[in-house]
Amino acid sequence: MEPILEIPIIARGRVIMPGDDAVQFRGRGGADFRQADPHKHIHDLVLGDTAKLRDLHDTPMLEIIDLLVELGKRLRLDDNELLQQSFALALKAGGLAEPILRGVYDALPHMFERCMMIGLVDKTIGLDYIDGWVPGSGPYGNVSIRAVGTRQLHITAGNVPVVAAMTVARAGLTKSDILIKSPSNDPLTANAIARTLIDLAPDHPVTKHIAVAYWKGGDEIMDSQIVRTSRIDKITAWGGMSSVRHIQKFLQPGIDLTALNPKYSMSMIGRDTFASEAAMDEAAIGLATLAGFYNQTACANTRLVYVESDTDDASLERLAELGRRMVAAYGLLPPLLSVPFTTPNRELEAEMAAVALEDDFYHVEGDTLNGGFVVSKFNDRVEFFDKLNNRVVNFVPVDDLTDVLKWCDDTTQTVGIYPENIRPRILDAFALAGIQRLVSLAGGDPMTVYANSHHMPPGSPHDGIEPMRRSVRWVVDMRPADQGAALEIAAE
Amino acid sequence: MTISLLPDNPGAWTYRRFEDLYAIPREERETLQLEAVRINFAKLRNRIPALRKLADRQGVEAIDKLEDVLPVCFDHRVLKNYPIQIIENRDFARLTGWLDKLTAHDLTRVDLTGVTTIEQWLRRLEAYGMLVTYSSGTTGKLSFVPRSYDELGPWKYHFFSVNRASSGVDPWTTKLPTFFPGYRGGYQTMLKMMSLFNVEMAGGEEHYHTLYDTHIPADLMALSGRLQAAEDKGEVMNLGLDPALLEQRQQMLAQGRSREGDMEAWFGKLIREYRGQRVKIGGTFADLYRVARAGLDKGMTCEFAPGSILQGGGGMKGYKDAPADWEDQVKTFFGVEHLGNQYGFSECIGNAPLCDHGYFHFLPYTIPLLMDAAGEALPREGVQKGRLVLVDPIPTSYWGGFTSGDEVTMHWEEDCPCGWGGPRASKAIRRFAENEGGDDKITCAGSQAAYNEFMEFVAGEA
Repeated sequence: MEPILEIPIIARGRVIMPGDDAVQFRGRGGADFRQADPHKHIHDLVLGDTAKLRDLHDTPMLEIIDLLVELGKRLRLDDNELLQQSFALALKAGGLAEPILRGVYDALPHMFERCMMIGLVDKTIGLDYIDGWVPGSGPYGNVSIRAVGTRQLHITAGNVPVVAAMTVARAGLTKSDILIKSPSNDPLTANAIARTLIDLAPDHPVTKHIAVAYWKGGDEIMDSQIVRTSRIDKITAWGGMSSVRHIQKFLQPGIDLTALNPKYSMSMIGRDTFASEAAMDEAAIGLATLAGFYNQTACANTRLVYVESDTDDASLERLAELGRRMVAAYGLLPPLLSVPFTTPNRELEAEMAAVALEDDFYHVEGDTLNGGFVVSKFNDRVEFFDKLNNRVVNFVPVDDLTDVLKWCDDTTQTVGIYPENIRPRILDAFALAGIQRLVSLAGGDPMTVYANSHHMPPGSPHDGIEPMRRSVRWVVDMRPADQGAALEIAAE
Repeated sequence: MTISLLPDNPGAWTYRRFEDLYAIPREERETLQLEAVRINFAKLRNRIPALRKLADRQGVEAIDKLEDVLPVCFDHRVLKNYPIQIIENRDFARLTGWLDKLTAHDLTRVDLTGVTTIEQWLRRLEAYGMLVTYSSGTTGKLSFVPRSYDELGPWKYHFFSVNRASSGVDPWTTKLPTFFPGYRGGYQTMLKMMSLFNVEMAGGEEHYHTLYDTHIPADLMALSGRLQAAEDKGEVMNLGLDPALLEQRQQMLAQGRSREGDMEAWFGKLIREYRGQRVKIGGTFADLYRVARAGLDKGMTCEFAPGSILQGGGGMKGYKDAPADWEDQVKTFFGVEHLGNQYGFSECIGNAPLCDHGYFHFLPYTIPLLMDAAGEALPREGVQKGRLVLVDPIPTSYWGGFTSGDEVTMHWEEDCPCGWGGPRASKAIRRFAENEGGDDKITCAGSQAAYNEFMEFVAGEA
């Protein structure tokens, strides 16, 4: 019998521990947990009076960033007991192997680095816009614009701490009041970060505008009480419409929804790859990295590989050879990025076994422990492409890479390509088709490929949008034209 | 009294009364079943190409004990492991080549001249000697059961027998006018069984009443996903489909929208016409409850003659938040004493009737086995919960071992108070989900697993 976790509600600087009237919830993959009844704390969770945002509104951004930098320093797994609990639970949930998960937690403090956060605000909002009214230029000097904080509900998901940390950071960086609805499979991380912040600066305006609680998805009383234009301005939902399935009936004009949909990613291999052994090896390492990092649990992981190739036996054998080299290259990935699985994925293995019987159409190698691949012997992906996990990918021959456009849409996030000379002929066509990021498989070693596909400047778009820019309110202050002109002169 | 059955010909067991079949002592039955599976596997192992490939891969040459059959049972996906592109391109030569690996019949000799639709293809196969039916899952992809005329006799005898078991009325001798609130004709498994068996049970076409006189063409079901995508892009005409098929699609969509009203009107008319007569009502429980609820709301109940029967299926799939007493409401409205029910899958001939104590009892010619999440056999004793495998030793033209996606609780001790023997399954049957409640993924990944988990999470089922 697992011990029952005691989880507080975080209510704007206050930690409300579960008392005698607490409610018990069923956790997933980890342990069950108890929390104070959220129905009795609705007023602690929402901010009805927007005037109360004034303290945060008047705090300079650099002061907020100073605080978040200090917070980041305290989010080290080795000396933060609350994070250690969250880590232990995530490990028990079994989504990621220990070395990978540790790497993810170790990266947390870096999310709070000063230059990162300044870059993030400046790129997506503008430091001057978040701290004050910015007048227009020339004849529009009388028109000023300011980015103003909002009241946000974040429906978070997943068992990695990145989402919770990102959400807390964005609260401060947008000078907004946030309510985080924790997922049942990770009720601890957002809590741990918020409590670390309370310990650090109990009375800081950022601390006073963060609330964290769990309530059951589909709890109509909670949803109807919280999702009101008088209480919430913006909702960010991880997982797309499914995550707002229950609250959608309460959505109305005045509440802006950002749905971060589930995403798929893929790679494309040009014909020239087969011109030399060296090129094939380089492509294979690139594929192993993009398919293998985080053990293929992320949205940016390659699951499908479209290859410019004919479908005669010799060409298909070259595809299989590329697959073998990719599986071999999984062994080159450092444990921080990828490790073999310890339990098989039976569902996927059943799918693989079923198509393996059909060798007129498919060629299957490998398994769900060490990774593997399915070669389609014709121009179409396997129908279970959305179940591809455990470092198993599907190689699909196509006559021309532009044939792949028909499989691209808003759910196609990251596209890895090889060799680089195919980039000019695909970039714009695929951008129009819906893809959100084009990266390179080149580099020849996993850390280079990983770095090339992950190191973006702060404030880069996420899934094709700029969530920070969307989560503030852009307010216009228009003065009479002559006053604006006068102000401009005065400023000079 | 015990009856004599030969293991060489399990099809002939279906000719016997179900009471006598249930009464065979367990030890005797299991010996007979093992021998029947052993003989059937030996006969088919090298005759069915897909079975030979699987058996070679698993290194299974012969069956010595029942559990030996598990590694050579087809996963239910095998009956649809052709590429969907074949259907989209209407490449019936390749589809026939695919099916050929699942049957002992030589399909290379089927004349495919002029075949442009799945419906035509299935008709051509039937003319040749096959009785291929299809079912469609949530993805719309059709799975084809490679049955043939070789199995027709036992299939029919079993079906008549199991209907007598679950209704108490012998369809060989008592013909009851039948109402079925659905489609008519075609090769979808249930509809094909209706044409083959239920119409005769009703006493002829004129006594078999369906809501619609037609059915959804298999081509439309198979292409539903593709058609929707093409429609979104304004490319439907580029698919090169027969305009008549597209026209039919529009009709089907319109029919779907008016279905609930059509059903009420249709049932209302039959209820008036057949007042005072003995009838049989069939359909999914969700539809039957819908009709019952609408009738009860108007203060109506049916006044059929005593001895009328109701055979439902499909559970309450398609009806959300049914009240706890929905079964009583259905009985009250239709005026029947009990709800007949059966459990099985279209791959296997011998579905199991529901007894008065709420269990599905398997007949000797359907051999259930349970596996755990790792695919290991669970013991055939006491009460066990696991993934259901059914081995059907009747077929002579295809291999009858199938692994389902259902999680079932089996009671192996033959102590059901209803008096029927045989292993029995509890009524609560659901999809088998491995590692339920755990194995969380980062949910930004658009994989089906992650997506489903997230759905469950937000649906509050977590």
